[in-house]
Amino acid sequence: MSDDFVVFLVYAACYGSILGYAVYLHRRLRKTED
Amino acid sequence: MTRVRIWFALAGLALLVGLWMALTAPADALQGVWFRLFYVHVSSMWFGMLAFLVTAFASIAWLVRKTPKWDRLASASVESGVLFTGIGLVVGMIWGKAVWGVAWDWEDPRLASTAVMFFVYLGYLALRGAVSDPQAKARRSAVLGAIAAVQVPLVYFSVNLFRTLHQTQTVRPDGMTMSPEMRPAFFVNLLAFTLLYVALVQARIFVARAEEARGTTELAAGDAVVPPRLDEVHDV
Repeated sequence: MSDDFVVFLVYAACYGSILGYAVYLHRRLRKTED
Repeated sequence: MTRVRIWFALAGLALLVGLWMALTAPADALQGVWFRLFYVHVSSMWFGMLAFLVTAFASIAWLVRKTPKWDRLASASVESGVLFTGIGLVVGMIWGKAVWGVAWDWEDPRLASTAVMFFVYLGYLALRGAVSDPQAKARRSAVLGAIAAVQVPLVYFSVNLFRTLHQTQTVRPDGMTMSPEMRPAFFVNLLAFTLLYVALVQARIFVARAEEARGTTELAAGDAVVPPRLDEVHDV
């Protein structure tokens, strides 16, 4: 695995965790509205 | 809610541009492509620390005014701060392993103080989860949120106070220790994290407000525990 690809994977993991938190907030809001 | 969606759309767009610029930025002469982790590491750590300072401000404002909006802002900012600091720590460990040869060193004051700060704010979230009375929850977390912020300048200036493994600041009052070709990627990532921080805090406040209106705030730790009914206990 090249260093470039590992750096890309690190960025993907960071953005994924941020997206995960945003989805969690969205689901919590939907649960409140139901 | 439309306003929050616009912030998220702007943040998403800026993050994608930031990602592209970070991955195509010039490689460092010594660190090679691993230096590209700088853009997400520094942006997330800066906004982690900024989030904790916002929490301190909102906590003091709640202690003075006692209005729920300050409590919502304080807790929303801590959640984003913990997320950003966690990202900064993990990215820093991967970067450290690649260029220092070690992922972690407890003798480095920057690393150790950041870890302590991270766990203190995890404790803040645990404290909020352990108290069910809204007034008590707001008061206790406001006291902790105001006091815990003393760590932020300590973490930031630890690299100047004690010189060990972690490098000193890249952005200093006398200029930047960074090649001009690398700066656009840094500034775009900073902008992306600014938009992201605003979007996440607004969304979290929106959720808190909706839950308060419906009276559906999360159960506190121990709320589900039913005390034993001694009158149902029979001698065997």
